[in-house]
Amino acid sequence: MNCRHLFRMGLFSMSQTGALALQGIRVLDFTWIHAGPSATRILSDQGAQVIKVESNQALAVVGGPSSNTTRGLGQRHNWNAGKLSISLNMKIDAGKDLARRLVAVSDVVAENFSGRVMPSWGLDYEGVRQIKPDIIMLSMSGFGRTGPWKDRVSYGQTLQAWSGFTDLTGFPDTRPSGPASAYSDAVGGMTGAQAVLLALIQRANTGRGQWIDVSQMEAMSALLGPLSLDLSANKTGAQRTGNRLSHGGGAPHGAYRCQGDDRWLAITVFTDEEWGSFVNAIGSPAWTSEDRFATADSREEYSVELDRLVESWTSEQNAEAAMHLLQAVGVAAGVVQTGEDMADNDPQLRERGTFQQVPDAAGVLRTIEKAPYKLSRTPGSVTRGAPEFGADQDFVLSEILGLTDEELAKAAIAGAFD
Amino acid sequence: MRRTGPFVADAAPLENSLHWRHYNTNKRSITLNIETSAGTDLLGKLAATADVVLESFQPGYLSAKGLGYDHLSEANPGLVYASLTPFGQSGPYRDYKASDLVGFAMGGYMYVTGWPDTPPNKLWGLQAYQTTSNRAFIGILIALYHRLATGEGQYVDVSMQEAVATTTEHVNTTYNYTGESAIRCGFRHGGQFIATWQCKDGYVSITTNTAKAWDDLRAWMEGDGMAGDLMDEQYNDRFILRGEHGAHIEELVEAWTLTHTRAEITEWGQANHHPWGPVTTADELLGMEQHWERGFYSVTPGDKELVYPGSPYKMSENGWQLNSLAPEIGQHNRQIFCEELGLSADELQTFISDGVV
Repeated sequence: MNCRHLFRMGLFSMSQTGALALQGIRVLDFTWIHAGPSATRILSDQGAQVIKVESNQALAVVGGPSSNTTRGLGQRHNWNAGKLSISLNMKIDAGKDLARRLVAVSDVVAENFSGRVMPSWGLDYEGVRQIKPDIIMLSMSGFGRTGPWKDRVSYGQTLQAWSGFTDLTGFPDTRPSGPASAYSDAVGGMTGAQAVLLALIQRANTGRGQWIDVSQMEAMSALLGPLSLDLSANKTGAQRTGNRLSHGGGAPHGAYRCQGDDRWLAITVFTDEEWGSFVNAIGSPAWTSEDRFATADSREEYSVELDRLVESWTSEQNAEAAMHLLQAVGVAAGVVQTGEDMADNDPQLRERGTFQQVPDAAGVLRTIEKAPYKLSRTPGSVTRGAPEFGADQDFVLSEILGLTDEELAKAAIAGAFD
Repeated sequence: MRRTGPFVADAAPLENSLHWRHYNTNKRSITLNIETSAGTDLLGKLAATADVVLESFQPGYLSAKGLGYDHLSEANPGLVYASLTPFGQSGPYRDYKASDLVGFAMGGYMYVTGWPDTPPNKLWGLQAYQTTSNRAFIGILIALYHRLATGEGQYVDVSMQEAVATTTEHVNTTYNYTGESAIRCGFRHGGQFIATWQCKDGYVSITTNTAKAWDDLRAWMEGDGMAGDLMDEQYNDRFILRGEHGAHIEELVEAWTLTHTRAEITEWGQANHHPWGPVTTADELLGMEQHWERGFYSVTPGDKELVYPGSPYKMSENGWQLNSLAPEIGQHNRQIFCEELGLSADELQTFISDGVV
């Protein structure tokens, strides 16, 4: 691959183990809610300098500066750790002017507003490209910026419903449920980060930037896997299947109640070999030798009865002990872990360092999630929590943009930071 | 993968899996028996020409065959080598087995999915596996970008459990910041102001994310004479769904939604910039005009027209397109072993006869 462009542009320096892969990349981040900030945190973890552009004019968004609930505070740190924050009033020219000057020194501009906002500031892709020709612009929206639904608005739950996930998730005999959390926001964040990384690689090879138009709805639809092929080939609809796979069998295959309050063990058995190991591990109770459980096909056919019998065993077991017992003989079993289990009781996540503590501005340690991939040479690094609202005003405007005290005062009087 | 459904009729076994066809577009296929020493030798030669090696064997399996990152990167220092496993390459559970369901459970997503009075539920499909793929793709792209600058490859270790655990939105922050574990909420999101309601022709998702959305909802109900006492001041807080009046409000809202269709409620909401939308059923998915208009769906021509999903982003410089369908087993053996790796036709034939290829 050709990386002469980058060397010429001074974007890269030779690195060694422990280096930050995205050092030297600057991201001007206008995003607000989950999908946006989680995309830019992925970049920030790898050394990109992410400047979060906030505003006193819009304080009420979850994860935003006034997220003063305890839970909102957690989300603010988890999505914004390691970033810088400035406050700009984009309703007035003095604020927009500073934003344009920041675009000129950035590599990536990220936003997840509705389609009207960036053009109204003159900062749609055409606008930012005129300021910085090789800029990469990430636009994330519910349905994409083209097509008949481009102006529709969505939350995570809206997209889960609209894409089909909500109706397909749950047991056949209950109402559809969907997840209690916003999967589609997390998916949108991963998708946005992937597209920016692809664009950075492309820019390194060609010197050209580009516009990325992410549709979070499409990101969800893609995760339905082969469903659209199935629907087009076989003309039959899919239905809720509870904890069974819609294809590929397996029995037992589900969550089984254990001792204690709302404790469950997920167990999956596919092959005869796994079944034999399972039977031995649980002490070969009489029902396991019934003919109807002798083959994989037959176990699947009688899976409802099998589930009841498996649960007659699990309900006498401690969930963790049963997991270890089954794993010892190679059966895939795992506790249905709660937030508490993962944070306090899981030796694997502890050993892997899945959660990390970083100091906030006042030095209080805050828990955040770490990137779930371990890169041997460029593992990334997060050294602080989310910035306080507008905390990096001086650094960004004086150090990066080189504004004089006089210019700063003038902008302040004009209301650029309100 | 070739034995996993759904299947398409009138195609040969092992070539009829739509699961296989979906996940393997734009790829080539070779066959290689790495249980033979000639097979591991050939794989080593191929890896010397590769940019990325991706594997999902048990930790240690490929290393024992001399095909681990340490071995393959010797001849190819720029190699990016990614291992996707249930629990990662280290830690006390590194040798534990997992399926999609077990990964979803251990990653903490399953506990919060479903209804409080049913067992925890999985999301539809294979979301633990797909989340692992999504996370691994990010790790690999970071490594490729680093390689562009330095020529250095690296090892990427991805754990399904961690991939899921860091994709649960509020599960970890809720516990780590409040000391309470998030719970299953059925049709609500985290018990907040987002819920799915039964209506005339199915279900509809209504999010009262702003005070105006809640006020608009109450006003529409009032206009239909169905708001009951919801216009009272005591109901002004849009977070009220999770309070002591929750059951009373639910009863009133759903009595109202049952008198309207998904389309009516969606259009009213969207016209006022509220994020409301229908619960789409599977048989409606191929009718989504937005997906067709943006070219997200593409149709493969032929006697059996199949609808493939595309990439979830439009990029002005990097276009994704469906260049080739999933390959048949070993379809590219000759191309890759002979034309690219330089084996003679006779050598390939010998490998085939010996059961190596």
